[in-house]
Amino acid sequence: MNRKGMFLFLLIISVCFLSGCWSKRELTDLAFISAYSLDLTEEGNYEATVQVISPGNITSGLQGGGGGSSSPPVIVYSVTGENLSDMDALITKKLSRTPYYAHTDLVVISEELAKKEGLPPILDELDRDIEFRTTTTVVIAKETKAKDLLTTLTGTDRVPATNIVKMLDTTEKALGENVRVNVHELITQVTSKGKEPVLPGFTLKGDPMQGKTVKSVQSTELEAAPEADGLAMFKEGKLIDWIEGETARGTLWTLDKIKTTIVSTSWEKEKKAIAYKVMRQKTKVSATLTKGKPKLSISTRAEGDIAEVKVPVDLTDPHVIKKIEKELEKEIKSEIEKAVQQAQKDKSDIFGFGEVVHRTDPKAWKKLEKEWDDRTFAELDVDVKVEALIRRTGLVNNSLHTTLKKEEK
Amino acid sequence: MSAYQLFTLILLFELGSTLVLPLASEAKQDAWLAILIAMAGGFCLFFMYYGLYHYYPDLPLTEYVQILLGSVLGKGLAFCYVLYFVYGAAAILRAFGEMLVTIAYPATPLFVINALFILVIVYMVYKGIEVIARTSEVLFVAMCLLLLSGFLLLIISGTIHLENVKPVLEEGLSPVIKTAFTGTLYFPFGQIIVFAMIFPYIKERKKVKRTGFLAIGMSGLILALVAAGNISVLGLDLASRAPFPFLASIQSIEVAGFLERLDIYFILFAMIGGFFKISIFFYAAVMGASHLFQVKHPSRLAYPMGIVVLLVSMAIASSYTEYIQEVRIMLLYVYMPFQVIIPVLLLIIAFFKNRKKVI
Repeated sequence: MNRKGMFLFLLIISVCFLSGCWSKRELTDLAFISAYSLDLTEEGNYEATVQVISPGNITSGLQGGGGGSSSPPVIVYSVTGENLSDMDALITKKLSRTPYYAHTDLVVISEELAKKEGLPPILDELDRDIEFRTTTTVVIAKETKAKDLLTTLTGTDRVPATNIVKMLDTTEKALGENVRVNVHELITQVTSKGKEPVLPGFTLKGDPMQGKTVKSVQSTELEAAPEADGLAMFKEGKLIDWIEGETARGTLWTLDKIKTTIVSTSWEKEKKAIAYKVMRQKTKVSATLTKGKPKLSISTRAEGDIAEVKVPVDLTDPHVIKKIEKELEKEIKSEIEKAVQQAQKDKSDIFGFGEVVHRTDPKAWKKLEKEWDDRTFAELDVDVKVEALIRRTGLVNNSLHTTLKKEEK
Repeated sequence: MSAYQLFTLILLFELGSTLVLPLASEAKQDAWLAILIAMAGGFCLFFMYYGLYHYYPDLPLTEYVQILLGSVLGKGLAFCYVLYFVYGAAAILRAFGEMLVTIAYPATPLFVINALFILVIVYMVYKGIEVIARTSEVLFVAMCLLLLSGFLLLIISGTIHLENVKPVLEEGLSPVIKTAFTGTLYFPFGQIIVFAMIFPYIKERKKVKRTGFLAIGMSGLILALVAAGNISVLGLDLASRAPFPFLASIQSIEVAGFLERLDIYFILFAMIGGFFKISIFFYAAVMGASHLFQVKHPSRLAYPMGIVVLLVSMAIASSYTEYIQEVRIMLLYVYMPFQVIIPVLLLIIAFFKNRKKVI
């Protein structure tokens, strides 16, 4: 054979090797898992539930005039086992496709599991697995089975996992009582000695059995719907308490995670008379040590607008604005103090005060480290300073209440 | 080969495997400082290798060893250096194979990945130093763009928490210096000794010194920046537990909801860097062997020696854990004598020998 012929022969042969990939996976052979949940069974084993997207059913609702989808956009499978990898293999007994975790958006852990077993046993697999992403969001199922959050169909966003993650994002931005935490952040906080994690809680309002059927999302008021509810507080990897309402927001203030929120204050005996919309804020935590005894100070600076006024107030008067600012400062300060008090009572350093001390004085931290959570943190002196600034008053200068008041006279 | 090509080669060589693997992790949050200190040590080492080159500008390491130590002893030592280069190439090949199996091709056997990788390298070495140098010129630009955009994305996505790097010098300076001089100095900075085989091919001889210092300085800065970046993104604990910390940092990038899952960045870094590091080690080994055994066409040795490197890379260790353990031992008992002690002795001998000549 001549040189050219040989070359051509090699070229043709190489085509056979170049066409395929070693470990190819066809799209039609993969089960895309959108959410993953873990419960504790009565025997003390894990129950893992995966929410698999059924590709054909996701878009149908948009075209068929609303009621066109006869089957749900996701299907849920459960399996029990003693570790996560085992269950991953066992689940294929029920699944026709290979489970694929790279697009998992949400991990739900049941309250019971987080209380009894704690998080560390399950975190290793999530970190070690190549397919699973550490940017996945983690939430705790509060007063409900984790599985129920996955089986409940949702309205606005049809994939329940997406719905929960987006809900979390929105409420974090607008209210600031919840915070989105991913696996990566969670692991960092669980392992740190000077910081304990908080995780957002989700509860299910309504009947879980009703929530499973497509019928539930065909009415305007859902039979069952997930709802963001509070922050789970951890100590040594185990859930110990829930932070709720204003205290939860105080926690986020301290963590410098507040983006925008509404703070209301009373005015001349009228409760929640003036609402203030925080547009931006910055919170700094610093530590000072005197003779090895740490003292923490939190300073917050918030900027925002007046959002609502229920009583006659002269908003054109800078002195009044100053007075309202003072009231708001008191309000925010009390929220932060409540959060700090609860954390100290539960002896869990969710704010990372320990890390602040560590950074300020590494040598002193060496001595404090051992008894930090149980003694030093619980008895810590915390000083809170708040500065609230009102920048604008919205589209109205003086409220209609001021006119009404004049007419009365 | 021009001075610019030497610059790109040294830089890619230095960044090669070190960008990918954890570096100076024993120094904890001061890893970046340990790297900078080791870089200063690297300058001294480079100055030493340059000194030898200055005495024998036309000869590679394996040749002037024979002039300095006499034929028998010199040949023995030159052979040892060839073995060291082969081991260097094989060890890095193994590291890259392991990395690719771990993060990208879990179902592919290590042997297949290593074989394909070395095949490309063998081909390039077969073509000679000119080809290696020109390729490095092209890929250097790609590497720079990748590094710049990678850092920019890390900053934009807001995952950098500089407070993680604090407190600086928590345990004092001694653990940092210890890390720098028991590890980081020999890997990667001491490995510059390979270039003692390449210096004779450089045309612009006057610029060698400046270029070398510049390249080592820049690679040291980049490595220190990456080390500090890793710790500030991952936190100390995750960074010290991750086998590929830079990958973990890159995975944490999330910009505007769609720029995420940029693992390909890491794989590109690894491929470009690893490719050059293995190539240069392998080239040095081939050239050394061909001089030693008086083979007329060095490139003929490329294929057989490629098979040797491949087999050594497979035989080095049975698991990744064992491999890491072994590299630690090699660092002190093989890398240090070959990179520091022997060159010092050689330099002293060269100094006395050449002084005699002048007189």
